[in-house]
Amino acid sequence: MSETKHFPLSRRSLLASAGAFGVVGAVYPRMALSQDGKILKVRSYSDIQILDPAFRLSAPEGDIMTAIFAGLATYQTGDEWAWKPMAVESLEQLDDLTIAFKLRDKIGFTDGFGQMTAEDVKFSIERIADPANESPYAGDWATLKEVEVKDTLSGVIHLREKFVPLWSSTLPTASCCILSKAAVEAEGGKIGTKPVGQSGPYLMTEWTPKQRTILKRNPDWAYEPGGFEEIHIFPIEDPAAAEIGFEAGDLDHTWTAVSSISRLKDAPPAGGVIVEKPSLAYVWMGMNQDVAPFDNPNIRRAVQHAIDRETVVEAAYFGAATTSTGIIAPGLAGHREAVLYDYDPDKAREILAAEGAEGLTVTLDILNQSERLAAAQVIQANLADVGITCEIKQNDSGTFWTLGDKGGDYWNKLQMHLGRFSMQPDPSWATVWFTPEQIGVWNWERWNSPEFAELHAQGLVEGDPAKRDEIYRKMQDLMDEGGCYVFLTHEVTGVLHRDTVNPGLKPNGEALLAEFKPV
Amino acid sequence: MLNYAIKRLGLAVVIVSVAMFLLFSMIYLIPGDPASVALGPRATEAMKAALRERMGLDQPIWVQFWNFYSGAWTGDLGTEILSERPVLTVVMEQLPYTVALIVGGISWSVALGIPLGCLAAVRRGGWVDRIVGVLSVAVIAVPSFVIAIYALLIFAVWLQWLPAIGAGEPGEPGDQLVHLILPSLAVGIGWVGYIARMVRASMLEVLEASHIRTAYAFGLPDNQIIYRYALSIAILPTVTLLGIGIGQMLSSAVFAEIVFSRPGVGKLVYDAILTRNFPVVTGAVLVTTAFFVLLNLIADLIVGALDPRVRSNF
Repeated sequence: MSETKHFPLSRRSLLASAGAFGVVGAVYPRMALSQDGKILKVRSYSDIQILDPAFRLSAPEGDIMTAIFAGLATYQTGDEWAWKPMAVESLEQLDDLTIAFKLRDKIGFTDGFGQMTAEDVKFSIERIADPANESPYAGDWATLKEVEVKDTLSGVIHLREKFVPLWSSTLPTASCCILSKAAVEAEGGKIGTKPVGQSGPYLMTEWTPKQRTILKRNPDWAYEPGGFEEIHIFPIEDPAAAEIGFEAGDLDHTWTAVSSISRLKDAPPAGGVIVEKPSLAYVWMGMNQDVAPFDNPNIRRAVQHAIDRETVVEAAYFGAATTSTGIIAPGLAGHREAVLYDYDPDKAREILAAEGAEGLTVTLDILNQSERLAAAQVIQANLADVGITCEIKQNDSGTFWTLGDKGGDYWNKLQMHLGRFSMQPDPSWATVWFTPEQIGVWNWERWNSPEFAELHAQGLVEGDPAKRDEIYRKMQDLMDEGGCYVFLTHEVTGVLHRDTVNPGLKPNGEALLAEFKPV
Repeated sequence: MLNYAIKRLGLAVVIVSVAMFLLFSMIYLIPGDPASVALGPRATEAMKAALRERMGLDQPIWVQFWNFYSGAWTGDLGTEILSERPVLTVVMEQLPYTVALIVGGISWSVALGIPLGCLAAVRRGGWVDRIVGVLSVAVIAVPSFVIAIYALLIFAVWLQWLPAIGAGEPGEPGDQLVHLILPSLAVGIGWVGYIARMVRASMLEVLEASHIRTAYAFGLPDNQIIYRYALSIAILPTVTLLGIGIGQMLSSAVFAEIVFSRPGVGKLVYDAILTRNFPVVTGAVLVTTAFFVLLNLIADLIVGALDPRVRSNF
């Protein structure tokens, strides 16, 4: 068979097909919809699973709840942690144990559930605090005695004992969103993925699982309105995918990976603005003091001296983040200026030699993320430099977050791990996980310090800022002395937004959806 | 034919049952406590215990398997542990997106693979043939997620022709189609190579057949000979190949759904594994397995209906 000379499938026809492909793109509108000030497209790192403030599972759910259920207070945008009234005309601390509130008189619930009343406030707060309801957020109202209803719009929150974090990490959060008592009861006591009795500046009108959630401006909200007619929230777990979505014009706002910040600052996408915000999160390397060789405090101290924290952080975050001095971020009570035991490889070698512990082999468990791996590899090199062989074990999130569970398979094998916790703007949120009662829960180092526990309890009720500062500094000193911790960084939050959007951000870069405005 | 159909149906039931057993066994080998992962750091031991009880994790494993197995045959795949929605509902919400993705992938592979294979065959030995050969091997060799990422960068970020994320506006087929172009290309591009190679080989064989030579001798137009007489025969092995391709595209769909942030069963399973949401994992994998077995069953029944030799040999 000879070659056919006039075969109809030619390069020209293939090029024509490619051209048609281009035409599809040309006719498809590729501009950010926020440019007309109507629709804001933002990314959340996970989809919603439950929209009940008492049982919320993730921060994105809290972000939506605080936009659709009016709370007594909300965070202010800006660089300083502060709150402002939302559903209240007034909210006042009368004394250490008493807070009076008076609701605004024009807040109604959707679905025909009427006006928001003090009875709804009582119901919403007490259902979280009631141990019988097993809310994971009961701790936010740990010292609540009761909510007293004075009249339709007024009431008093009574505490059993003083609770300092109330104003910073309870009242402005979803733990203080007010639900309609009648609506929740009509739903059988719990709200699922379909919110009822909404009352905030926005209403959730559509949820397409795994695809998007739509909030629309609440036409009945009589106070400061939301900035956009609609907010479309896309659940995108991978920050790199979200960055591409932003660059392609599909998103108006997203968090970025910390490791992307330098690149985005050097070459921001067209029409994009990159913002860096100090994060409250803390990253550390922990050593399990109940498992050899870290049952020897001198070995732990040697490892503290062996880790070059600056290089670890530089490698993991490409210069975007700085080293930390503990678990409490700058700007919060208790932040320290320095760690007690820093990089000193000669001292590490000296200690190891004195202990006869040269040639150790240890394992470091990490979450399978590129930043953690980069950090772990520097730690591995640092340890090798002092004669310790370190094996890195990567785990998926489902496995990693149960490694230190008491009674779990790995409970007696875990040696070192890289941890990262996020937190609310109160130092007690950082220290709570390292108390003795958290051993086998979140205290994977099994560091057991009754003094630390006592100071944690004091910090919750100490109202004097100077004394509180001293308490939390002391607690971190104790952590350093214990030798189980190498504090690495608080990271930094990278926020990428369209220049047509004025993002409503908390001081740590988290989004306040109702505060986003068009420029 | 009825006897053949009953036997094939029986085999399909056995395959699905074995798949369910393997699936269930593997899931319980995954480390990590579902209750701890699902409820997060603030959950108490009592809450975790309550969730384990609700999920049936406190039951012996054979009881759990029997509950899952017997429920599955009646359409009860259990309840999603956090939102408490029926798993079947959760999976069926996502399935159309994955089906669309695979249909799109097949469309790309057929639309590009068959013409390229034909072109290579009729230009046998020429530079077009060589280029098609190199391209075919290249797209087979490159993982689909790499194609996905480059397609995103070129068409979504640089050219801004196509969207990067999502599945388009619900209820707007045009928008959904535009959102489908890049993900389906990523899923189907590897199969362009397979199909092009298969079509080329088949075409070369058919073009040597006596009836094609006769057609040329009678002076029939080239188009007619190639499309009507040669391609219609050469394409048959490709159809069989596509049946196998659906299974592989299902696994490629996971990458595409993650990279393009599309909803779909692959993404659903991925998320469910990370959160140890076992009812969703088992339900979603079972539905896709059943879907794949059903497609193969239909294909077998069609082949059996067309070819009596297949029926008699089964």
